[in-house]
Amino acid sequence: MARWGMAADLDRCNGCGGCVVACHAENNISTVGPEQASRGRAKHWIRVERYWEGDFPDVKLKFRPTMCQQCGNAPCEPVCPTYASHHTEDGLNAQVYNRCIGTRYCANACPYNARFFDFFNPSWEKPLQLQLNPDVSLREVGVMEKCTFCVQRIRGTQTTAKTEGREIRDGEIQPACVQACSTRALVFGDLEDRESEVSRLSRSPRGSKLLEDVGTRPAVTYLARLTEEA
Amino acid sequence: MDRRSFIKLTAVSGTSAALASCGNPENQFIRFLPDEDIVPGVAVWKPSICPLCAAGCGLTVRVMDADAEVTRDGQAGIKRIAAAKKLEGAPAHPVNRGGLCARGHAAIQVTYHPDRITQPLKRSGDRGTGQYEAISWEDALAEVVSRLNGVDAANPRAVAFLSRVGAGHRSALIQQFAGHFGGSPISFELFGDDVLRRANAVSFGRDQLPTVDLANARFVLSFGADFLGTWNSPVAQSAAYGDMRRGRPGIRGSFAQVEARMSQTGASADEWVPARPGTEGVLALGLAHVIMAASLQPAAAAGRAGSMVAGWGAGLSDYTPQRVEELTGVPAARVDRLARQFAELRPAVAIAGGAALAHSNGLFTAMAVNALNALVGSVDQPGGLSFTPQFNTGSALKFSPAAQPATPLQMLAADALSGAAVPQVAFVDGVNPVFTTPRAWRVREALEKVPYIVSFGSFLDETSALADIILPDHSFLESWVEAVPESGVAAAVASVAAPVMRPLYATRATPDVLLEIGRGLQRPLGAAWQTFDEMLGASFATLPSTTPDVDAWTDAQTKGLWSGVLPAGLARQAQAVADGATYAFEAPRFDGDAKQFPFHFLPYPSVPFGDGSTAHLPWLQEMPDPLTSAMWSSWVEINPTTAANMGISDGDVLEVASGHGSVRAGAVISPGIAPDVIAMPMGQGHTMFTRYATGRGANPAEILAPVTEAATGALAWAATRVRVTRIGPPDGSLVLFAGGIREHLEQEHR
Amino acid sequence: MALATGVACQYIQPAAIPQSSTTSTLPALPGQQTGVFTTARPTMAAAMDDFMNRRPVYEQPLDFPHNIHAGKGVECAFCHDGVDKGPAAGIPGLRTCMICHDAIATDRPRIQQMAALRDKGLDLAWQRVYGFSADDHVRFNHSPHIRAKVECATCHGNVAEGTVAERNVDHTMGFCVNCHNERKASIDCLTCHF
Repeated sequence: MARWGMAADLDRCNGCGGCVVACHAENNISTVGPEQASRGRAKHWIRVERYWEGDFPDVKLKFRPTMCQQCGNAPCEPVCPTYASHHTEDGLNAQVYNRCIGTRYCANACPYNARFFDFFNPSWEKPLQLQLNPDVSLREVGVMEKCTFCVQRIRGTQTTAKTEGREIRDGEIQPACVQACSTRALVFGDLEDRESEVSRLSRSPRGSKLLEDVGTRPAVTYLARLTEEA
Repeated sequence: MDRRSFIKLTAVSGTSAALASCGNPENQFIRFLPDEDIVPGVAVWKPSICPLCAAGCGLTVRVMDADAEVTRDGQAGIKRIAAAKKLEGAPAHPVNRGGLCARGHAAIQVTYHPDRITQPLKRSGDRGTGQYEAISWEDALAEVVSRLNGVDAANPRAVAFLSRVGAGHRSALIQQFAGHFGGSPISFELFGDDVLRRANAVSFGRDQLPTVDLANARFVLSFGADFLGTWNSPVAQSAAYGDMRRGRPGIRGSFAQVEARMSQTGASADEWVPARPGTEGVLALGLAHVIMAASLQPAAAAGRAGSMVAGWGAGLSDYTPQRVEELTGVPAARVDRLARQFAELRPAVAIAGGAALAHSNGLFTAMAVNALNALVGSVDQPGGLSFTPQFNTGSALKFSPAAQPATPLQMLAADALSGAAVPQVAFVDGVNPVFTTPRAWRVREALEKVPYIVSFGSFLDETSALADIILPDHSFLESWVEAVPESGVAAAVASVAAPVMRPLYATRATPDVLLEIGRGLQRPLGAAWQTFDEMLGASFATLPSTTPDVDAWTDAQTKGLWSGVLPAGLARQAQAVADGATYAFEAPRFDGDAKQFPFHFLPYPSVPFGDGSTAHLPWLQEMPDPLTSAMWSSWVEINPTTAANMGISDGDVLEVASGHGSVRAGAVISPGIAPDVIAMPMGQGHTMFTRYATGRGANPAEILAPVTEAATGALAWAATRVRVTRIGPPDGSLVLFAGGIREHLEQEHR
Repeated sequence: MALATGVACQYIQPAAIPQSSTTSTLPALPGQQTGVFTTARPTMAAAMDDFMNRRPVYEQPLDFPHNIHAGKGVECAFCHDGVDKGPAAGIPGLRTCMICHDAIATDRPRIQQMAALRDKGLDLAWQRVYGFSADDHVRFNHSPHIRAKVECATCHGNVAEGTVAERNVDHTMGFCVNCHNERKASIDCLTCHF
């Protein structure tokens, strides 16, 4: 059984935001408009965080693409009264919309602010709905949504590979953000496979997990932007 | 929309066969016979080309069945169509190599935009009000043809064609069309690169943007070029940047960025070097001085590019580190260190672009950077800059070269206003000069003098709303598309792609319309082709095929591109410009008195919107800006110390006033900007540009001074001085995705 | 233990509800086989319709005789040609019909009616009788089921002997999960719901 994970090389990431829009396109994430966005209701399953350091003129800015970390010990899971948020065998934090009753406990529990609540039914002004990806559910008002590691692509590739009677190749599954990334900062794959690129990168001495000390055991490894060593 | 109607919508539109619920009222709708056999739920992948900037990234478009609501002869119904679902970077395309930027991903919303113009329109109200009535294609084209038949054939300025900059076939056709009436197409880009092209023509004999081999560079020094965000070919450059950092075992390329306001690119630099606006060239020559003085390279190594710089042969004695510190504000020790890094970390490359060249002395700055590159041997070398061999579409199609150079837009406007030369007919294709030009040029008033304006726009914007007739283009997914990249790739590339889907509306491809108009004229255009794809076929047939037993045209359609070695006659020729002049630093000229207007004003291309041409796409409106996390807004960036001195807090409404006007927006207190600089992103402030962009934010171009670069006449868009006034507390117009500018001070996580 | 099975998305039949289960303390809802209430419906009435398995009556544009076609040896996948290619089998439109009926049985009134429709550029506005509602969040894919040699009739009933398609089998989650359990297919939620 695979265990899906991601590595984000912060030395490659330049904060362009291609992943953000790619995610919207792939996952039918609706835009909420300026009024709702100003109330903190915009939904971005992946975002690029910015960390300013220092003051003018010695200023540094670091980018960090941040999405659901698909924690191995996820704080969102035990708080869900309906098991809408639960763990799959292949290491994903599933969000089952059918079960979600919108308590938002999970969003409170998530230390990464990776979960987004649907305050409204999504709307696509015609004919924008023609773009919708039929492989991904449309979430209705009152449910939580978040990054799925593009589970539709994982399942699709698993089906294809099984039909063709073969194993999944390393790098064959690319979530939309990984596929979009111009700098190849994002790498996705199976952490159980010691030879996979993601598992190699996850073992890098530059690697660390976000908020590791809270014990969430994320599946995403960040490779630090270090200037001193090559 | 309430829930019930939403459910109905999703059911009706059949976002997938599986999604459509049982018992939805499909029988209430008429179903039209589809135009093609479509296997439901199965994706087909087709090549296309991103149209949103000049880089020409290759796309792979996911096409699947979808149920579109259509109206046929007044009867509304549902029709199954093969619809584009998602745009992805084409993995095999040499420019973007599978990557795609935010704008590229959102390009699909151009096709499905709810405010697209769906058929030809004739103006029925006053100009600019957006009141139009439907007209048939036949009547519309007949009207345009009769207008063109009536123009004064002896007047080369009777027909003005405003279009985008480009080297592709569409541009060649427009060139030919405009040339038929004795003129040349007029292109204006606010953040254009005319200064750099001229500098490259003078230094290297190449009137072209450079391709930078970042992937092999050890040290990159960028003077103002936002090459990872908005400048030149950002996806190609980002891909190479990733490899520069982590693509070579044991080697990590270093990178310093010189600019007064930290751009997205500057944020990725190891070292951010704020220099006084307009003095970037001095810093470049300061580095050259140190390199020569320390005998790291001889002056002669720079060859022609060096000889164009005054004082080069004498070791640039005017540009000592101390003198450079006085002029630029960059400490002398840092100048010395950067110079040594640049000479010793080989290969090293310098890039010039953006605001650094948008001053009255921009050409000097570009020449200085070119000379610095030449000095360390970084021209046409791995890890340096080179020039992409470019397919000359004009010669492939046997078009006659331009009769005369294009009239600059500001001259067109001035002459129209003064009555010296008023075009009788103006065409507008893919540009919005009313929005992107300084208000001081009065382009809107000038266009209002033109008796007849034809627009090919897909949307009503500030310029197309002045048109008397609108002949809407297909979206790029519905038409033949092509691109001839100027930069971003080592070998010559010409991309081409067939339509990905059938047109949704009664639109027509603009090149086809031009050919049709050309056939209808009393004095026909005389093009040998009925349609644009025939023209493309003729052009690609001149290229050598790169696949055995397949002709080049068929091969290019299959692959989405042709790439190879250009035959001699088909490459754009290098053109040496020898004006005999040498270039020396002259203090940049700023508009506005330093006492009355204490700040430098820096408009900059926004990452999602560029110059504002993509502000109508909702995904881009809601995409958080990389540096501020702002969405759906305009803002004013101001240094924290300056803000504190003026009593300005985050989000406060500020008025930014130049000698030419004022704009208002919320304050973003940003650590990455010099204390005497005020920056604003371009893109918002549209008065008319679909439901998503109209009336949102402010347009910084409105207050720009009409200062031009001295040698090229290009707009010096960074040469305006402004004053800033706090108007009041936050008014809610500034929307940030994160709470504030500092997400939080990172405790370095490892 | 019951919590764990809940997490793994196990569908619990009434008889199989262990006494220790927290869900077993809830009364089973009408038409639903467990006590777990799922809210994701637009209205209470819609939820009731769904739970009580009330479905609208379908009026099809044509009384299509599946039995005649199947009786002549036409395979299901001949017309439902997406079934072995991707997620959706597809409801064939007129273009598919006329592949054969341009030549076959052209003298029948129904075929002539279809030809006339086509000449007007119209298609048959079939109503879907199978399929999941958007609120079910089910991403059903035919192809793995075809690969696993699940007979069409297993899920669609004996269409081959009937005329126009009717919903003879209720695609409840219990129906799906039972079969998945029997065949040792994954019953993880993310197999179908995403």
